[in-house]
Amino acid sequence: MEKLISKKDLLEEANISYGQLYRWKRKNLIPENWFIRKSTFTGQETFFPKDDILLRIQKIKTLKDDLSLDELADMFSPSPTLTSLSAEELTKRNIVSQTTVDMFNNFHGPSQSFSFNQLLTLYVLNSLLQTGDVNLAEGIDLLKLFHDQEQTVKSTDSELIFIRKMGVSFFILTPEPANLFLESQAKKIAHYKLSQCIEELKLKLS
Amino acid sequence: MERTQLKSISISGSGTSSGGEYDQVKVNGSAHIHGDLICEQFKCNGSAHLEGNITTDTAKINGSTHFEGDVEVKEMTINGSTDIDGNLLCDELKVQGSSTIKGNVKGKELIVRGSASIDGNVCSDEIDVKGQVKIKGDCETESFEARGNFKIDGLLNAGTIDVELLRHCEAKEIGGENITVKKTRDASGFKKLIKFFMSNHNDQLTAEVIEGDNLYLEHTHAEVVRGNTIEIGPGCDIKRIEYKTSLEIDPDAKVGTQEKI
Repeated sequence: MEKLISKKDLLEEANISYGQLYRWKRKNLIPENWFIRKSTFTGQETFFPKDDILLRIQKIKTLKDDLSLDELADMFSPSPTLTSLSAEELTKRNIVSQTTVDMFNNFHGPSQSFSFNQLLTLYVLNSLLQTGDVNLAEGIDLLKLFHDQEQTVKSTDSELIFIRKMGVSFFILTPEPANLFLESQAKKIAHYKLSQCIEELKLKLS
Repeated sequence: MERTQLKSISISGSGTSSGGEYDQVKVNGSAHIHGDLICEQFKCNGSAHLEGNITTDTAKINGSTHFEGDVEVKEMTINGSTDIDGNLLCDELKVQGSSTIKGNVKGKELIVRGSASIDGNVCSDEIDVKGQVKIKGDCETESFEARGNFKIDGLLNAGTIDVELLRHCEAKEIGGENITVKKTRDASGFKKLIKFFMSNHNDQLTAEVIEGDNLYLEHTHAEVVRGNTIEIGPGCDIKRIEYKTSLEIDPDAKVGTQEKI
Protein backbone atom coordinates (compact mmCIF):
# COMPACT_ATOMS: atom_id res chain seq x y z
CA MET A 1 0.00 0.00 0.00
CA GLU A 2 1.28 3.42 -0.91
CA LYS A 3 2.05 5.82 1.90
CA LEU A 4 -0.48 8.62 2.27
CA ILE A 5 -0.05 12.17 3.47
CA SER A 6 -2.82 14.38 4.83
CA LYS A 7 -3.49 17.73 3.21
CA LYS A 8 -2.37 19.63 6.28
CA ASP A 9 0.94 17.80 6.50
CA LEU A 10 1.45 18.19 2.78
CA LEU A 11 1.05 21.97 2.90
CA GLU A 12 3.58 22.14 5.70
CA GLU A 13 6.08 19.76 4.17
CA ALA A 14 5.92 21.30 0.71
CA ASN A 15 5.55 24.84 2.09
CA ILE A 16 2.60 25.81 -0.07
CA SER A 17 -0.75 27.40 0.72
CA TYR A 18 -4.30 26.15 0.28
CA GLY A 19 -4.73 28.65 -2.53
CA GLN A 20 -1.80 27.22 -4.49
CA LEU A 21 -3.00 23.66 -4.04
CA TYR A 22 -6.49 24.54 -5.22
CA ARG A 23 -5.14 26.56 -8.16
CA TRP A 24 -2.97 23.67 -9.31
CA LYS A 25 -5.90 21.32 -8.99
CA ARG A 26 -7.99 23.69 -11.13
CA LYS A 27 -5.28 23.78 -13.75
CA ASN A 28 -5.16 19.96 -13.78
CA LEU A 29 -1.60 19.87 -12.53
CA ILE A 30 -2.66 17.43 -9.84
CA PRO A 31 -4.80 14.52 -11.01
CA GLU A 32 -8.25 14.13 -9.52
CA ASN A 33 -7.62 10.55 -8.38
CA TRP A 34 -4.82 11.66 -6.08
CA PHE A 35 -7.38 13.31 -3.83
CA ILE A 36 -8.32 10.48 -1.52
CA ARG A 37 -11.08 11.12 0.98
CA LYS A 38 -11.05 9.40 4.31
CA SER A 39 -13.01 9.76 7.50
CA THR A 40 -11.02 10.86 10.52
CA PHE A 41 -11.96 12.05 13.97
CA THR A 42 -12.19 15.64 12.71
CA GLY A 43 -14.56 14.67 9.92
CA GLN A 44 -13.61 13.99 6.34
CA GLU A 45 -10.05 14.73 5.39
CA THR A 46 -8.23 14.59 2.11
CA PHE A 47 -5.12 12.49 1.69
CA PHE A 48 -2.61 12.16 -1.14
CA PRO A 49 -0.20 9.45 -2.27
CA LYS A 50 2.85 10.86 -0.51
CA ASP A 51 5.73 10.16 -2.89
CA ASP A 52 3.80 11.04 -6.03
CA ILE A 53 2.43 14.34 -4.76
CA LEU A 54 5.68 15.55 -3.22
CA LEU A 55 7.55 14.78 -6.44
CA ARG A 56 4.87 16.55 -8.48
CA ILE A 57 4.87 19.67 -6.28
CA GLN A 58 8.66 19.78 -6.39
CA LYS A 59 8.47 19.72 -10.19
CA ILE A 60 5.78 22.38 -10.34
CA LYS A 61 7.77 24.65 -8.06
CA THR A 62 11.00 24.34 -10.02
CA LEU A 63 9.36 24.67 -13.43
CA LYS A 64 6.69 27.28 -12.79
CA ASP A 65 9.08 30.19 -13.32
CA ASP A 66 9.96 29.02 -16.82
CA LEU A 67 6.65 27.62 -17.98
CA SER A 68 3.10 28.87 -17.65
CA LEU A 69 0.65 26.78 -15.66
CA ASP A 70 -1.10 25.77 -18.87
CA GLU A 71 2.17 24.55 -20.37
CA LEU A 72 2.83 22.61 -17.20
CA ALA A 73 -0.61 21.05 -17.41
CA ASP A 74 0.18 19.87 -20.94
CA MET A 75 3.35 18.31 -19.69
CA PHE A 76 1.66 16.42 -16.88
CA SER A 77 -1.30 15.31 -18.93
CA PRO A 78 -0.96 11.79 -20.33
CA SER A 79 -1.91 12.85 -23.84
CA PRO A 80 1.01 13.38 -26.18
CA THR A 81 2.09 16.93 -26.91
CA LEU A 82 3.67 16.53 -30.30
CA THR A 83 2.94 14.04 -32.99
CA SER A 84 6.31 13.08 -34.35
CA LEU A 85 10.01 13.74 -34.31
CA SER A 86 12.64 12.86 -36.87
CA ALA A 87 15.35 10.29 -36.15
CA GLU A 88 18.06 12.84 -36.83
CA GLU A 89 16.71 15.31 -34.31
CA LEU A 90 16.22 12.56 -31.79
CA THR A 91 19.91 11.74 -31.58
CA LYS A 92 21.05 15.30 -32.15
CA ARG A 93 19.12 16.57 -29.16
CA ASN A 94 20.48 13.66 -27.18
CA ILE A 95 17.08 12.36 -26.20
CA VAL A 96 18.01 8.77 -26.93
CA SER A 97 21.27 7.20 -28.09
CA GLN A 98 22.04 6.09 -31.64
CA THR A 99 22.31 2.48 -30.45
CA THR A 100 18.73 2.55 -29.25
CA VAL A 101 17.48 4.05 -32.50
CA ASP A 102 19.38 1.41 -34.49
CA MET A 103 17.90 -1.34 -32.37
CA PHE A 104 14.44 0.03 -32.86
CA ASN A 105 14.95 0.32 -36.60
CA ASN A 106 16.32 -3.24 -36.82
CA PHE A 107 13.20 -4.52 -35.14
CA HIS A 108 10.55 -2.38 -36.82
CA GLY A 109 12.28 -1.62 -40.08
CA PRO A 110 13.95 1.73 -40.82
CA SER A 111 11.90 4.84 -40.24
CA GLN A 112 12.70 8.52 -40.46
CA SER A 113 10.26 9.91 -37.95
CA PHE A 114 8.71 8.58 -34.78
CA SER A 115 5.28 8.97 -33.25
CA PHE A 116 4.89 9.87 -29.59
CA ASN A 117 4.25 6.27 -28.61
CA GLN A 118 7.31 5.12 -30.49
CA LEU A 119 9.28 7.85 -28.78
CA LEU A 120 8.09 6.55 -25.44
CA THR A 121 9.24 3.05 -26.34
CA LEU A 122 12.60 4.43 -27.41
CA TYR A 123 12.91 6.47 -24.25
CA VAL A 124 12.16 3.56 -21.93
CA LEU A 125 14.46 1.22 -23.85
CA ASN A 126 17.19 3.82 -23.85
CA SER A 127 17.12 4.36 -20.11
CA LEU A 128 17.05 0.61 -19.44
CA LEU A 129 20.08 0.12 -21.67
CA GLN A 130 21.94 3.09 -20.25
CA THR A 131 21.58 1.93 -16.68
CA GLY A 132 22.82 -1.48 -17.75
CA ASP A 133 19.73 -3.17 -16.32
CA VAL A 134 18.92 -4.75 -19.62
CA ASN A 135 21.13 -6.27 -22.32
CA LEU A 136 20.54 -5.98 -26.04
CA ALA A 137 18.72 -9.32 -26.40
CA GLU A 138 16.38 -8.40 -23.59
CA GLY A 139 15.85 -5.05 -25.22
CA ILE A 140 14.35 -6.85 -28.20
CA ASP A 141 11.90 -8.53 -25.83
CA LEU A 142 10.87 -5.11 -24.59
CA LEU A 143 10.31 -3.82 -28.11
CA LYS A 144 8.16 -6.85 -28.81
CA LEU A 145 6.14 -6.37 -25.64
CA PHE A 146 5.51 -2.68 -26.34
CA HIS A 147 4.59 -3.51 -29.90
CA ASP A 148 2.11 -6.23 -28.91
CA GLN A 149 0.62 -4.22 -26.07
CA GLU A 150 0.37 -0.93 -27.91
CA GLN A 151 -3.11 -0.21 -26.58
CA THR A 152 -2.09 -0.83 -22.98
CA VAL A 153 0.90 1.46 -23.36
CA LYS A 154 -1.33 4.13 -24.86
CA SER A 155 -3.68 4.04 -21.92
CA THR A 156 -0.59 5.19 -20.00
CA ASP A 157 -1.49 4.39 -16.42
CA SER A 158 0.65 1.32 -16.42
CA GLU A 159 3.90 0.20 -14.90
CA LEU A 160 6.77 -1.71 -16.39
CA ILE A 161 8.62 -4.14 -14.18
CA PHE A 162 11.70 -6.13 -15.13
CA ILE A 163 12.43 -9.25 -13.12
CA ARG A 164 15.32 -11.66 -13.20
CA LYS A 165 15.72 -14.98 -11.48
CA MET A 166 18.73 -17.27 -11.92
CA GLY A 167 19.64 -15.54 -15.17
CA VAL A 168 16.17 -15.82 -16.67
CA SER A 169 14.57 -12.45 -17.21
CA PHE A 170 11.17 -11.17 -18.20
CA PHE A 171 9.15 -7.97 -18.42
CA ILE A 172 5.79 -7.34 -16.81
CA LEU A 173 3.46 -4.62 -18.00
CA THR A 174 0.64 -4.02 -15.54
CA PRO A 175 -1.92 -1.34 -14.71
CA GLU A 176 -0.96 1.15 -12.03
CA PRO A 177 -0.67 0.75 -9.05
CA ALA A 178 1.05 -2.60 -9.24
CA ASN A 179 1.44 -4.69 -6.12
CA LEU A 180 3.84 -7.51 -6.78
CA PHE A 181 5.12 -9.96 -4.25
CA LEU A 182 8.29 -11.69 -5.34
CA GLU A 183 9.88 -14.85 -4.09
CA SER A 184 13.23 -14.33 -2.46
CA GLN A 185 15.41 -15.48 -5.36
CA ALA A 186 13.66 -13.31 -7.90
CA LYS A 187 15.08 -9.85 -8.23
CA LYS A 188 13.26 -6.75 -9.38
CA ILE A 189 15.82 -5.10 -11.63
CA ALA A 190 13.82 -2.13 -12.86
CA HIS A 191 10.47 -0.61 -12.10
CA TYR A 192 9.11 2.24 -14.27
CA LYS A 193 5.88 4.12 -14.02
CA LEU A 194 5.02 4.92 -17.62
CA SER A 195 3.15 8.10 -16.62
CA GLN A 196 6.38 9.39 -15.10
CA CYS A 197 8.36 8.35 -18.17
CA ILE A 198 5.93 10.36 -20.29
CA GLU A 199 6.46 13.41 -18.10
CA GLU A 200 10.23 13.10 -18.33
CA LEU A 201 10.05 12.58 -22.05
CA LYS A 202 7.84 15.63 -22.53
CA LEU A 203 10.23 17.69 -20.48
CA LYS A 204 13.10 16.60 -22.74
CA LEU A 205 11.12 17.28 -25.87
CA SER A 206 9.94 20.73 -24.85
CA MET B 1 -10.05 27.09 -50.01
CA GLU B 2 -13.17 28.99 -50.72
CA ARG B 3 -16.10 28.06 -48.58
CA THR B 4 -19.14 26.88 -50.33
CA GLN B 5 -22.13 29.07 -49.71
CA LEU B 6 -24.28 27.49 -47.05
CA LYS B 7 -28.02 27.68 -47.13
CA SER B 8 -30.24 28.97 -44.41
CA ILE B 9 -33.45 27.52 -43.13
CA SER B 10 -36.30 29.28 -41.51
CA ILE B 11 -39.15 27.40 -39.94
CA SER B 12 -42.23 29.52 -39.40
CA GLY B 13 -45.25 27.72 -38.20
CA SER B 14 -44.68 24.10 -37.51
CA GLY B 15 -42.08 22.08 -39.34
CA THR B 16 -39.49 19.39 -39.22
CA SER B 17 -35.95 19.16 -40.52
CA SER B 18 -33.48 16.31 -40.68
CA GLY B 19 -30.57 18.49 -39.57
CA GLY B 20 -27.45 19.15 -41.58
CA GLU B 21 -25.10 22.05 -42.25
CA TYR B 22 -26.52 25.54 -42.63
CA ASP B 23 -25.68 29.19 -42.40
CA GLN B 24 -28.64 30.35 -40.34
CA VAL B 25 -31.33 28.33 -38.67
CA LYS B 26 -34.34 30.29 -37.51
CA VAL B 27 -37.38 28.93 -35.78
CA ASN B 28 -40.38 31.18 -35.34
CA GLY B 29 -43.00 28.59 -34.60
CA SER B 30 -42.39 25.07 -33.54
CA ALA B 31 -39.70 22.88 -35.02
CA HIS B 32 -38.55 19.35 -34.65
CA ILE B 33 -35.05 18.57 -35.92
CA HIS B 34 -34.20 14.90 -36.20
CA GLY B 35 -30.46 14.92 -36.71
CA ASP B 36 -27.29 16.81 -35.88
CA LEU B 37 -27.12 20.48 -36.74
CA ILE B 38 -24.10 22.54 -37.73
CA CYS B 39 -24.71 26.22 -38.38
CA GLU B 40 -23.38 29.73 -37.98
CA GLN B 41 -26.41 31.06 -36.21
CA PHE B 42 -29.25 29.37 -34.38
CA LYS B 43 -32.22 31.41 -33.29
CA CYS B 44 -35.39 30.15 -31.75
CA ASN B 45 -38.34 32.40 -31.04
CA GLY B 46 -40.84 29.64 -30.55
CA SER B 47 -40.18 26.13 -29.48
CA ALA B 48 -37.62 23.77 -30.90
CA HIS B 49 -36.68 20.20 -30.27
CA LEU B 50 -33.35 18.89 -31.52
CA GLU B 51 -32.65 15.19 -31.36
CA GLY B 52 -28.96 15.37 -32.18
CA ASN B 53 -25.93 17.49 -31.34
CA ILE B 54 -25.55 21.10 -32.34
CA THR B 55 -22.44 23.07 -33.24
CA THR B 56 -22.95 26.76 -33.87
CA ASP B 57 -21.33 30.17 -33.54
CA THR B 58 -24.19 31.92 -31.85
CA ALA B 59 -27.34 30.56 -30.35
CA LYS B 60 -30.15 32.75 -29.15
CA ILE B 61 -33.16 31.23 -27.54
CA ASN B 62 -36.15 33.41 -26.83
CA GLY B 63 -38.67 30.64 -26.55
CA SER B 64 -38.12 27.16 -25.33
CA THR B 65 -35.70 24.64 -26.70
CA HIS B 66 -34.78 21.10 -25.89
CA PHE B 67 -31.43 19.73 -27.08
CA GLU B 68 -31.08 16.00 -26.69
CA GLY B 69 -27.39 15.88 -27.54
CA ASP B 70 -24.30 17.96 -26.87
CA VAL B 71 -24.17 21.68 -27.55
CA GLU B 72 -21.03 23.38 -28.79
CA VAL B 73 -21.39 27.12 -29.20
CA LYS B 74 -19.31 30.29 -29.02
CA GLU B 75 -21.95 32.60 -27.72
CA MET B 76 -25.23 31.48 -26.26
CA THR B 77 -28.03 33.59 -24.88
CA ILE B 78 -31.02 32.00 -23.24
CA ASN B 79 -33.94 34.33 -22.64
CA GLY B 80 -36.54 31.64 -22.42
CA SER B 81 -36.01 28.15 -21.21
CA THR B 82 -33.60 25.54 -22.43
CA ASP B 83 -32.98 21.92 -21.60
CA ILE B 84 -29.74 20.28 -22.65
CA ASP B 85 -29.45 16.54 -22.12
CA GLY B 86 -25.79 16.36 -23.11
CA ASN B 87 -22.75 18.49 -22.37
CA LEU B 88 -22.40 22.19 -23.07
CA LEU B 89 -19.18 23.64 -24.43
CA CYS B 90 -19.26 27.40 -24.86
CA ASP B 91 -17.21 30.57 -24.76
CA GLU B 92 -19.91 32.77 -23.38
CA LEU B 93 -23.19 31.68 -21.87
CA LYS B 94 -25.81 34.07 -20.68
CA VAL B 95 -28.87 32.64 -19.00
CA GLN B 96 -31.60 35.19 -18.47
CA GLY B 97 -34.38 32.70 -18.30
CA SER B 98 -34.04 29.22 -17.03
CA SER B 99 -31.93 26.33 -18.14
CA THR B 100 -31.35 22.74 -17.17
CA ILE B 101 -28.22 20.96 -18.30
CA LYS B 102 -27.83 17.27 -17.61
CA GLY B 103 -24.19 16.97 -18.62
CA ASN B 104 -21.06 18.98 -17.87
CA VAL B 105 -20.54 22.64 -18.70
CA LYS B 106 -17.24 23.96 -19.92
CA GLY B 107 -16.92 27.60 -20.79
CA LYS B 108 -15.04 30.85 -20.45
CA GLU B 109 -17.71 33.17 -19.15
CA LEU B 110 -20.94 32.07 -17.55
CA ILE B 111 -23.47 34.71 -16.64
CA VAL B 112 -26.65 33.69 -14.90
CA ARG B 113 -29.37 36.26 -14.40
CA GLY B 114 -32.18 33.76 -14.05
CA SER B 115 -31.87 30.23 -12.92
CA ALA B 116 -29.58 27.45 -14.05
CA SER B 117 -29.45 23.87 -12.93
CA ILE B 118 -26.55 21.67 -13.92
CA ASP B 119 -26.28 17.97 -13.15
CA GLY B 120 -22.62 17.56 -14.05
CA ASN B 121 -19.45 19.51 -13.36
CA VAL B 122 -18.88 23.15 -14.28
CA CYS B 123 -15.56 24.49 -15.44
CA SER B 124 -15.22 28.10 -16.54
CA ASP B 125 -12.86 31.06 -16.32
CA GLU B 126 -15.54 33.28 -14.84
CA ILE B 127 -18.88 32.65 -13.25
CA ASP B 128 -21.22 35.50 -12.40
CA VAL B 129 -24.52 34.68 -10.75
CA LYS B 130 -27.29 37.09 -9.98
CA GLY B 131 -30.08 34.63 -9.61
CA GLN B 132 -30.00 31.01 -8.77
CA VAL B 133 -27.62 28.22 -9.62
CA LYS B 134 -27.71 24.56 -8.71
CA ILE B 135 -24.75 22.37 -9.52
CA LYS B 136 -24.73 18.68 -8.69
CA GLY B 137 -21.06 18.13 -9.44
CA ASP B 138 -17.94 20.21 -8.83
CA CYS B 139 -17.47 23.82 -9.89
CA GLU B 140 -14.06 25.08 -10.97
CA THR B 141 -13.44 28.67 -11.97
CA GLU B 142 -10.95 31.50 -11.58
CA SER B 143 -13.56 33.92 -10.36
CA PHE B 144 -16.88 33.07 -8.75
CA GLU B 145 -19.15 36.01 -8.08
CA ALA B 146 -22.60 35.46 -6.71
CA ARG B 147 -25.33 37.87 -5.63
CA GLY B 148 -28.00 35.33 -5.11
CA ASN B 149 -28.64 31.78 -4.32
CA PHE B 150 -26.46 28.81 -5.08
CA LYS B 151 -26.28 25.16 -4.18
CA ILE B 152 -23.22 23.14 -5.11
CA ASP B 153 -23.20 19.48 -4.15
CA GLY B 154 -19.50 19.03 -4.82
CA LEU B 155 -16.43 21.23 -4.47
CA LEU B 156 -16.42 24.93 -5.30
CA ASN B 157 -12.84 25.62 -6.33
CA ALA B 158 -12.08 29.19 -7.38
CA GLY B 159 -9.28 31.72 -7.29
CA THR B 160 -11.54 34.48 -6.05
CA ILE B 161 -14.87 33.79 -4.44
CA ASP B 162 -17.07 36.79 -3.79
CA VAL B 163 -20.50 36.01 -2.43
CA GLU B 164 -23.40 38.13 -1.26
CA LEU B 165 -25.80 35.75 0.33
CA LEU B 166 -29.44 35.44 -0.50
CA ARG B 167 -31.46 32.85 1.35
CA HIS B 168 -29.83 29.53 2.07
CA CYS B 169 -26.67 28.99 0.01
CA GLU B 170 -24.87 25.68 0.13
CA ALA B 171 -21.64 24.08 -1.01
CA LYS B 172 -20.15 20.84 0.22
CA GLU B 173 -16.58 22.09 0.09
CA ILE B 174 -15.08 25.44 -0.79
CA GLY B 175 -11.45 25.99 -1.68
CA GLY B 176 -9.56 28.90 -3.17
CA GLU B 177 -7.27 31.86 -2.65
CA ASN B 178 -9.47 34.79 -1.62
CA ILE B 179 -12.88 33.98 -0.26
CA THR B 180 -15.35 36.66 0.80
CA VAL B 181 -18.83 35.86 2.00
CA LYS B 182 -21.12 38.72 2.98
CA LYS B 183 -24.72 39.28 3.74
CA THR B 184 -26.58 41.47 1.26
CA ARG B 185 -26.62 44.94 2.68
CA ASP B 186 -28.48 47.21 0.31
CA ALA B 187 -31.92 45.85 0.97
CA SER B 188 -34.11 47.72 -1.51
CA GLY B 189 -37.83 47.97 -1.02
CA PHE B 190 -38.49 45.05 -3.32
CA LYS B 191 -36.03 42.78 -1.57
CA LYS B 192 -37.53 43.77 1.77
CA LEU B 193 -40.90 42.77 0.43
CA ILE B 194 -39.61 39.40 -0.70
CA LYS B 195 -37.99 38.88 2.65
CA PHE B 196 -41.21 39.75 4.39
CA PHE B 197 -42.92 36.87 2.67
CA MET B 198 -40.04 34.48 3.11
CA SER B 199 -39.13 35.39 6.62
CA ASN B 200 -38.34 31.80 7.50
CA HIS B 201 -35.42 31.86 5.08
CA ASN B 202 -32.34 33.35 6.65
CA ASP B 203 -29.46 34.49 4.51
CA GLN B 204 -26.72 32.02 5.28
CA LEU B 205 -24.05 29.80 3.78
CA THR B 206 -23.60 26.20 4.80
CA ALA B 207 -20.47 24.25 3.96
CA GLU B 208 -18.61 21.32 5.44
CA VAL B 209 -15.10 22.55 4.75
CA ILE B 210 -13.81 25.96 3.69
CA GLU B 211 -10.14 26.26 2.85
CA GLY B 212 -8.30 29.25 1.44
CA ASP B 213 -5.52 31.79 1.84
CA ASN B 214 -7.51 34.87 2.83
CA LEU B 215 -10.98 34.39 4.19
CA TYR B 216 -13.70 36.76 5.28
CA LEU B 217 -16.90 35.03 6.31
CA GLU B 218 -20.27 36.28 7.52
CA HIS B 219 -23.31 34.20 8.41
CA THR B 220 -21.48 31.03 7.53
CA HIS B 221 -22.09 27.65 9.09
CA ALA B 222 -19.20 25.25 8.64
CA GLU B 223 -17.60 22.25 10.25
CA VAL B 224 -14.01 23.26 9.52
CA VAL B 225 -12.44 26.49 8.24
CA ARG B 226 -8.75 26.48 7.38
CA GLY B 227 -6.60 29.31 6.05
CA ASN B 228 -3.77 31.78 6.43
CA THR B 229 -5.60 34.95 7.41
CA ILE B 230 -9.12 34.43 8.61
CA GLU B 231 -11.69 36.98 9.63
CA ILE B 232 -14.90 35.66 11.05
CA GLY B 233 -17.78 38.12 10.86
CA PRO B 234 -21.14 38.21 12.57
CA GLY B 235 -23.58 35.34 12.42
CA CYS B 236 -21.03 32.58 11.86
CA ASP B 237 -21.25 29.18 13.47
CA ILE B 238 -18.03 27.27 12.95
CA LYS B 239 -17.02 24.14 14.81
CA ARG B 240 -13.29 24.27 14.16
CA ILE B 241 -10.84 26.84 12.81
CA GLU B 242 -7.23 26.19 11.82
CA TYR B 243 -5.20 29.26 10.88
CA LYS B 244 -1.63 30.10 10.03
CA THR B 245 -1.09 33.86 10.25
CA SER B 246 -3.99 35.65 11.85
CA LEU B 247 -7.51 35.12 13.13
CA GLU B 248 -10.13 37.69 14.04
CA ILE B 249 -13.50 36.76 15.42
CA ASP B 250 -16.54 39.00 15.68
CA PRO B 251 -18.21 38.89 19.12
CA ASP B 252 -21.42 37.95 17.33
CA ALA B 253 -19.95 34.70 15.99
CA LYS B 254 -19.89 31.23 17.46
CA VAL B 255 -16.65 29.30 17.13
CA GLY B 256 -15.87 25.89 18.62
CA THR B 257 -12.16 25.12 18.74
CA GLN B 258 -9.43 27.21 17.18
CA GLU B 259 -5.85 26.22 16.54
CA LYS B 260 -2.82 28.06 15.17
CA ILE B 261 -0.67 25.88 12.97
